[in-house]
Formats: sequence, structure tokens, C-alpha cells
Amino acid sequence: MAPPNRSARVEVLGSSVQRSRSNAYPSRSRSALVRRLVLAVLVLGALALLTVSFRSPTAGALHDVQGAASSALRPFQIAADRVARPFRDAYRWFDGLTKAKSQNAVLRDELRTARAQALAYRAAAVKAQNLERLLNYEQGATYPNGFRAVNTAVISFPSGPFTKQIAIAAGANKGIKLNTPVVTGDGLIGRVTNVFSKTAVVSLLTDPDSYVAARDLKTGVRGVIRHGQGNTLILDQVPKQATVKKGDRLVTDGTRDARYPDLYPYGIPIGTVSSVGIQDTASYLQVQVASFADLGSLDSVAALVKTKGS
Amino acid sequence: MSAFDGVKAAALLFVAAIVQVSILTQVHVLGGGPDLLLVTLVAVALLRGSVFGAAGGFFGGILVDVATLGQLGLTALVLTVAGYWIGRYGETTGRERAHAPFLSVAVVTVLYGFGLLLVHFVLGERAPAGPLVRGLGPAMLLNLLLAAPVYGLARRLLRPVDRGDFATEVQLLG
Repeated sequence: MAPPNRSARVEVLGSSVQRSRSNAYPSRSRSALVRRLVLAVLVLGALALLTVSFRSPTAGALHDVQGAASSALRPFQIAADRVARPFRDAYRWFDGLTKAKSQNAVLRDELRTARAQALAYRAAAVKAQNLERLLNYEQGATYPNGFRAVNTAVISFPSGPFTKQIAIAAGANKGIKLNTPVVTGDGLIGRVTNVFSKTAVVSLLTDPDSYVAARDLKTGVRGVIRHGQGNTLILDQVPKQATVKKGDRLVTDGTRDARYPDLYPYGIPIGTVSSVGIQDTASYLQVQVASFADLGSLDSVAALVKTKGS
Repeated sequence: MSAFDGVKAAALLFVAAIVQVSILTQVHVLGGGPDLLLVTLVAVALLRGSVFGAAGGFFGGILVDVATLGQLGLTALVLTVAGYWIGRYGETTGRERAHAPFLSVAVVTVLYGFGLLLVHFVLGERAPAGPLVRGLGPAMLLNLLLAAPVYGLARRLLRPVDRGDFATEVQLLG
């Protein structure tokens, strides 16, 4: 019995009863340790992969392994795409049906204008070819001459709001190289920024690192196409005194100085000017551009591979 | 929890990752899109705990990074942490609560988005927060719509285990 001046707790602590020696790692503590260890190993593994991938994004053993693994996953992606295709086609069919009537009227107007322009351009083109022949005029690569189109499917799409890249099902095996321009039937969409043996990564025009020298077909004004707010495109570095109007068509400018060859040949359609603004505080015109190609729904694209001798 | 559970969870995450990169990345509603892989990871982590969550996040993230030919390890890093966190929630306060999958999906959608933003920022890449913030509401809504069927399917495949198997640090005295 405890003396009156000692509490029960002190009495118990002070008792001479031998207790079993506690394990250094009881089962719960051990599982907590294992859990943290697993997390640490996985996080370190992810960081290691990220570091290696970030330091050598376009070459190295890890790059090759990623390319091979991506090729191995492709059949599964194709299978999933085939399952989803009927549903996607049905959605697009209904979507197209609802817009068809209004689009029809617009397209008829455009067709009328385009027919008249085509006649004039055909005559001008023949005349230009004759003049070039007479003058022995030398010029750089011009789209689509000197290029072979590698038509390929898009196998993956931007996976989040920070990614402006797609993967295509053709790579070095088809002659694709870094900076190969990529187009659709409508116009330019971007360039190849990473090449694997059977696949490649295309950075879209909306990628923050994409800059394309462009020219207004009507006025000859030059500028640089780059990403704007959100997913828009702008024609930057156009002096305020230059004339650019809504509806003007823009094409790639091509190489202007042989010492600094451009990544894109002259003449690839990019888009039309959708609005032009002037601000007192800005150094250049604010020119918004609507891309010809629908960058949000790309199923198949063509990579423009230079042919020999071009 | 057995090795067979691991195989089933891996198969579930594999299918989710393939469907995500092949089909759902093209679905956009008001600037946001669903993330089947994230929702599946939430289900697996809630049902099987933090170790499964972390390992599943790593596995799913690597699949996405490989399939999209993106920066290897980037998605894996964020999903590993997300899977671990959801797993811990499932092991402790989230156990046996009907709202746990929905709450986890809602919170993780936001944290995953900002986690990716942070990693991109640390890597020195341009990652504007505007599109992310604008798309968060629709993305969360779409993920919540996926949560019930995905959690139901995962629950059928991975039957709830005896909670004693879960490691917790909460030790009751007395």
C-alpha cells in the first residue's frame, strides 16, 4: 500500500516489478518507418529521373529507354483510341451538323472570293516562274517545294494546362529531325523538339518557347508569331507605322539571311489577323492571330522532311 | 493485402493511364478536363493505404510521362506525393466515411494542379497559373462525376481490408 504522501502514479513507477523489455521498433513504428522509407525512395527516384531527363532532354540512355517504352505503350493507346473513335466521330458529326448551316453560307462567300483570287494568282505564278528562269534567280527553300511530307498520326495530346506539345507516331526512322516543321492540311502547327526512334514530340505554336518569323501576304509586313494570353497567338514586333488589317493572311517568312537560316521555309500558311490594336505605351502593334489549323483537335499531321538537294 | 492486390491495382492504374492519355486529354469543358488516373489513384489509395498510394502514383505518373514523351519523373513525383497523402487520409480520418472519395478527389484535384505548377516553376519553365485556375472548377466537377463509378469499380476489385492491417500512428492508451 502506498504511503499517504506518495501518489499512486509514483508508487507504480517506483515499483520493483520487472517489465518485459520493450522492442526498439514495435510493429506500428516499424510499419511507419517502412511507409516513410517507401515514400522517400519513390520521391528520390522521381527526382533522379526528373534531373536526368531535364539535363539531357534529347539524348542519352534514359531518352532511348523512354522512346522504347513509349513504342511499347503505343498498341494500348491505339486500342483505346479505336474504342473511343466511334463516340468521338458521333459527337463531331452532331457538332458539325449544328454548325453546318451557318458555316455553309460563310464558306460559299469564301469560295467565290478564292476562285477569283486563284485565277489571278495562277497567272501571276506563271509570270513569276518565267521571270525567275530568265534572271537565274536564287532563293532558299520554299514550301512545299523541296520537302517530303511524312504523314503521321497524333498519339498523345497535351496532358495539362502547362503542356503545349503532342507526340506523333513517326520519328528518326522516317527521316524526322529536330526542328522539322509540322503542318496540317490547314497550315503550320509547330516544329519537332524531341526525336525518338519511332516517335517524336512536336511543340505547338502556342508553346511559350515557340517563335516563328511571319509575313503578311498582302502588305509584306514582317513580325514574329508567338503565344499570347491563354491559347491565342499574336504577331509581335510589328512597328506602329506598319499597316496590318483584320483578315490579312500570314505565312512563314523563311530565311532572310543565309548566315541565319530559319527553321521554317517560306510560305507555310499560319493564320489570319483577327484584330489589330494600338496602345500609346506599347512599342509595337497588338496583332491577334487566328491559326488556320485547329491546334486543339489534331488527329493527324505531316512533318516536312527536306528532300535531298533542297 | 496481398501481391495479387498489387497486380490488380497496377492493372487498374495502367488502364486508367492509357485511357487518360489516349482519350480524355482531348475532352475539355469550360477550360478543364477530367483526370481518370488521379481519380483511380484516389480510389486505390483510400482502399489500400499510403504505401499502395505512393507506389501507384509513381507507377501511373511514369506511364503518363512515358506515353506523352514528357519530362520523365515530373508527373510521377506529384502523383507519388498525392497518392501517399490520400492513403494516409484513408488510413486515419477518412476510414469508413462515405464522403471520403469525393472529398479526396476535390482536394487532390486542386493540390495536384498546384503541385504541377510548382514543379514547372522550380524547373524554370513558363507555367502561367491563369489557365490552371480557370480550369480548376470544371476539372473538379468532372472528376467528382467520375469518382463514384471509379471508386465503386475499385472497391469491387480491391475489397476493403481489415483496418488492423493499416499502419497508423494513433496509439490508444488505457
